[in-house]
Amino acid sequence: MPSIRRAIKIARLFIMEESNKSGNAVKRLKGGSPDEKRRSTLYFVWVGILSDRYALAGAIIIFVFVLCAILAPWIVPYPANEANPMLRLRPMGTEGHLLGLDMQGRDILSRLIYGSRFSLFTGIMPVIISAFISIPLGMLAAYYRRLGHIIMRLMDVFFAFPMVLLAILLAAFMGPGIPNVILALVIVLIPYNTRVVYIEAVTQRSQGYVEAARASATSDSSILFTEMLPNVVSPSVVYSTTIVGSNVITAAGLSFLGLGVQPPTAEWGIMMSEGRSVLAIAPHIATLPGIAMIFLVVGFNLVGDSLRDALDPRTRLRRIKSSFRKLSEEREATDAPSPSV
Amino acid sequence: MVIFILRRLLHTIPVLFGVTIVVFLSLQLIPGDVAQTLLGFSATAERVAALRRDLGLDKPIYVQYATWLWKLVQGDLGRSIAMRVPVASVLGIKFINSLILSGASLLIVIVGSFFLGTISAANFRKAFDRFTVFFTLFIAALPVFWLGIVLLYVFGVKIRVFPLSGMYNMANPGGFPDLLHHVLLPSFTIAASSVAIVTRVTRSGLIDILTQPYILAAHSRGLTSERVTYIHGVRNVLPTFANMCGLQVGYLFGCVVFAEIIFTWPGVGLQLYDSILLRDAPMVQGCVLVVAAVFVLGNLAADVIVYALDPTRH
Repeated sequence: MPSIRRAIKIARLFIMEESNKSGNAVKRLKGGSPDEKRRSTLYFVWVGILSDRYALAGAIIIFVFVLCAILAPWIVPYPANEANPMLRLRPMGTEGHLLGLDMQGRDILSRLIYGSRFSLFTGIMPVIISAFISIPLGMLAAYYRRLGHIIMRLMDVFFAFPMVLLAILLAAFMGPGIPNVILALVIVLIPYNTRVVYIEAVTQRSQGYVEAARASATSDSSILFTEMLPNVVSPSVVYSTTIVGSNVITAAGLSFLGLGVQPPTAEWGIMMSEGRSVLAIAPHIATLPGIAMIFLVVGFNLVGDSLRDALDPRTRLRRIKSSFRKLSEEREATDAPSPSV
Repeated sequence: MVIFILRRLLHTIPVLFGVTIVVFLSLQLIPGDVAQTLLGFSATAERVAALRRDLGLDKPIYVQYATWLWKLVQGDLGRSIAMRVPVASVLGIKFINSLILSGASLLIVIVGSFFLGTISAANFRKAFDRFTVFFTLFIAALPVFWLGIVLLYVFGVKIRVFPLSGMYNMANPGGFPDLLHHVLLPSFTIAASSVAIVTRVTRSGLIDILTQPYILAAHSRGLTSERVTYIHGVRNVLPTFANMCGLQVGYLFGCVVFAEIIFTWPGVGLQLYDSILLRDAPMVQGCVLVVAAVFVLGNLAADVIVYALDPTRH
């Protein structure tokens, strides 16, 4: 029943956030459950998402795509590779085929729905895998200075390649296929994520609690993975969320170049690459997958940006807004000619 | 300043060395027998043996690397398998072509995002600002290959204002205006999402700065608001802006590959794509190496510019 319990917890957090806004009800809820005394970073993240309507919109977009990906076999009007040569290249709005058909007479809507599976998978999986490698790597680099020096110099070498180019190089030599694409993207993402973890871990290492743990003869591995880990994970999670969007594009780009998932798989990059040859007579084939991709990427970017803002200790945005309000009030009060700031 | 540049240069050397190792080792990723895979299974045993000798695959790996690096230092990038000419001789002109395209894109990024970012920050929460914020959100999410296809269709196929491909008009090459005509569409394709990203950062940076006390002090001294915003405010957002543009260079180089393929621009990116399809490993390595080297130098330049612009770092 963990999912139900989580749902209850989420609902409770939501109520708390709402009551926080109204102000009075907070006291009533306090002490009611043990959760609210130990508010983790994730709490603020969650509240940040709920209170930000852009992030909520992003989350809804992602949810719709995830739903499409999961339910693909049941909701598609036609099988992804079922060809109807009689209706080749028909435009959008053809009867029975809402988004038209491609050059082999396959239904584009069905292929788009199936394609969301690959885009979500190749977009999210490499980010998760690279986070699992980067977090320990970055923490080790921050904790042991000499080892850290070597690791970070190694990372510098990977930073010397433009991200997409390195992915192309690796994918080109490893050969096509989903596992190779994911491996290539993991290798490309590790340096970036490791740097994020490293910077955070370096600041954590000089904190009092690490000092205290060391003074009480806690083992290194215990300091790293029970004391420091919880504080290091959240920046990495936030960073990972912000790069999922661009990773979706990179993965599709590899397929577009013929280095990723192979035809006749219904994948957005492949669909665009195939549609390019008939661009002049049937532009919908090459452009529709891109539009789907833009929505998905915008969804991830909205959530990622909001997470970043929610975790920003200075809550920059709010500070800016309030100080602008103050500024304009002051101006009105002094009745000065208001400059256009 | 000089010390800073020297230190950064010193830091660059091991990085470049590491780059050569990565590019060299990437060949080992090819599954199975490298020479056989590169030539395909219809190749004769003599050809395979010749290529294996040519690539030095029969020797231990450190000897291979040492020989490869020694040739590289002398400007020899090996011989192309598909074209049977030295890689360096092919890449020379393509490199210039790619540099033109990336330079044009970078120019669009710098000029476009600077003006968009500062103007929307100056009009914080007004119509122009909201418009910019909303549209940059979508433009930042545009896949470069999609934008390229759409622009090609709209401006090349539907309204025939821009050429479909190439660098110069084949029938009637016309020098600089002709080049400009051809470079506009691809460079805009490459620049679009970078413009959006840099605009957003510049905007929020400048908004942040405009709330600081020294800006209020400048207002209270009676300076015009334009002067305060565009001179006093913008000066301090410049390091952020330059840093952000520097970070986008790598992204631009990645996008150049796609734009060159879509617009058939005869540059390193298109050559890379063709060589991958032809399994021309030395050429692929050459292309990646050239781009990585330029990228490292570009980062160096960006760091120096940021350093020069940021008074707090002196």
